Amino acid sequence: MSTEALVKPHIGTITIRRHAQEDPAWVRWGLTLFALAVVGLLVVVPVVNIFATALSDGLRTYWDNLFTDPDTRQSIFLTLTVVPIALVANIIFGLTAAWAIARFNFPGRTLLTALIDLPFSVSPVVAGLMFVLIFGLQGYLGPFLRRDGYSIMPYLVSILGVGAFIVFFLLSRPSNPLARNGLWKQGWLFVLLGSGLVFGLLLFVQLYFHVWPRNQSLKIIFATPGLVLATAFVTFPFVARELIPVMEAVGADEELAAVSLGANGWQMFWHVTVPNIKWGLVYGIILCNARAVGEFGAVYVVSGHIAGKTDTMPLRIEKLFQEYNLPGSFAVASLLTLLAIFTLIAKARLQRKIPTTANLPEPTQSESQS
Amino acid sequence: MSILIKGVSKNFGSFKALDNVSLEVPDGDLLALLGPSGSGKTTLLRIIAGLEVADTGTVLYQDEDVTHHSARDRKVGFVFQHYALFRHMTVAENIGYGLKVRKTPKAQIRDRVDELLKLIRLDGFGNRYPSQLSGGQRQRVALARALAAQPRVLLLDEPFGALDAKVRQELRQWLRRLHEDIHVTSIFVTHDQEEAFEVANTVVVMNEGKIEQTGSPDEVYHYPATPFVYRFLGNVNLFHGRIDDGRAHIHEKETGHVVYVRPHLLDIDRIPNGGDHFRARVRHINSAGALVKVEAITEWGALVNVEISQDRFRTLQLIKDETVFVIPKDVKIFNDSNKKLAS
Repeated sequence: MSTEALVKPHIGTITIRRHAQEDPAWVRWGLTLFALAVVGLLVVVPVVNIFATALSDGLRTYWDNLFTDPDTRQSIFLTLTVVPIALVANIIFGLTAAWAIARFNFPGRTLLTALIDLPFSVSPVVAGLMFVLIFGLQGYLGPFLRRDGYSIMPYLVSILGVGAFIVFFLLSRPSNPLARNGLWKQGWLFVLLGSGLVFGLLLFVQLYFHVWPRNQSLKIIFATPGLVLATAFVTFPFVARELIPVMEAVGADEELAAVSLGANGWQMFWHVTVPNIKWGLVYGIILCNARAVGEFGAVYVVSGHIAGKTDTMPLRIEKLFQEYNLPGSFAVASLLTLLAIFTLIAKARLQRKIPTTANLPEPTQSESQS
Repeated sequence: MSILIKGVSKNFGSFKALDNVSLEVPDGDLLALLGPSGSGKTTLLRIIAGLEVADTGTVLYQDEDVTHHSARDRKVGFVFQHYALFRHMTVAENIGYGLKVRKTPKAQIRDRVDELLKLIRLDGFGNRYPSQLSGGQRQRVALARALAAQPRVLLLDEPFGALDAKVRQELRQWLRRLHEDIHVTSIFVTHDQEEAFEVANTVVVMNEGKIEQTGSPDEVYHYPATPFVYRFLGNVNLFHGRIDDGRAHIHEKETGHVVYVRPHLLDIDRIPNGGDHFRARVRHINSAGALVKVEAITEWGALVNVEISQDRFRTLQLIKDETVFVIPKDVKIFNDSNKKLAS
């Protein structure tokens, strides 16, 4: 770099190249234009076209296409049912998996990390077929589910109840062994007796009051449960994937500090862990949500495509398109596109707030003391 | 609160972090765990705090066996090497956290926080966030947070490790004075012998998961129990030798004993004064500093470091490549099984 360039970067209209290693102008312009052209052709034009076609018959038709057609209305409603359930399941799973992987060293940790990514690498259609193979009529559990599917529900609910009881026991027990008196002293006996009691009571209530229908088939494939399973499977990695690096970057020291200051597990989680990971969690949820709403392949296989019953929004778009109802199809598509645009904006805004190893506030080393 | 550690061992996989360590810390002591990295000092501190669980052995606070108590129930104040301040809480919220989770009334928390902010000379900083503070200020906030709930024991993990030299110096003296005021039993971990000597009343030197020596800074420095302690606490010259009639004969080929001499306990002269001496050739002289550092080569080819005063250097008018006599003033001799024999 010449001294002159330092002082006067511009002489007249001639721009002096400021870096010796800077690429020639035609390379810079060529690459930029090429990238812009590709994005314009493949992204901007189609997106604009979606809205143009959706609104081609006027706002009135657009509205009718979305909300007066009962099948379309049902598909929106179904998506709004399936996605939140899948999201909640994935948030719970993502938090536990990220916690386990970032905080503990256990055998099979690498395997778990790899398995979390599995849904990314499996084709959604294959994922859908997997569930058909397990729960479908010809599947492993098919005959049983068809004959008397609900008979398993009382047991499932009772086992969940026992799980909740054990978690509650561990959370409410005094952590100091000396402070445990009376029943707390016989911890394992208490858990054993309590679990038996909870299990028996729940089972009795459900069987006695006939909570679940008898001798009826429990539909999973070609019904909402199948849609939830398929959606949850496909979007399974998002929350965990976002949280693991955040939790690793934040480290366990603040959590340990909270514990040494007297916080219990619950307080540590809500006072320290959640504030530290919340933006990463929100980011993961938004990505997970975008993917869940738009999921087509896996849902296509398990839904059976029953109009007004098991059609989610993407399936409905395809069906309308097959019926040559372009404004209708594009109207639904425009909703998904709006969600995508919202997701993009949220993503750009959130990314800056997530702690990574690079942007953690480091102590200023060279400052003098007050 | 006195602390008693009995036969504590800890393995991480195949790595032996602590090997049957026993230690007694009297009430009100300020003790330094000193050792190189990997010596197990941080692991021992975390076991005392309850952040790590020992494989075997017991930890007692006074007469209470706390081996299986969680960190939460031990009522210790722990200061982390990288502060571990809650980044989304203000300084005041950080300091008050231990009181808040122990259900202290709000007004009481406010008073205690104000008092501690004054103690760490950060009054008026209560509403700042940790990211707005310098390293030294953060470390003091971490200390105040650890002290807020009146801990029974104060534990500090490399408390000044991440600070620059000047701030570190100030904080050391400040910690020493603070301990004189509040007198809570304190243990800190350091790999810096100067820091350990300057701050602590008792120094525990650790190596490879074992305690090498426990004693006052003075004892440890002047009467090292093992060759490791002697080597770790400063520069040292090492000679192989043999003991005959109470005199050490040093030569490369001799075996049986190892003779250690610190560079400043060697003198240089042009004439042998009748006492112990050996011949060496001056190879390099560095006179910038409080002491003049001389590198010399002995007749049998070993390198020996000598430190003499500037006055002595001026009197001698040493020049490079001349042959001089090196006179040991004080040596430590250990036999090959590392047992100390004589001084």
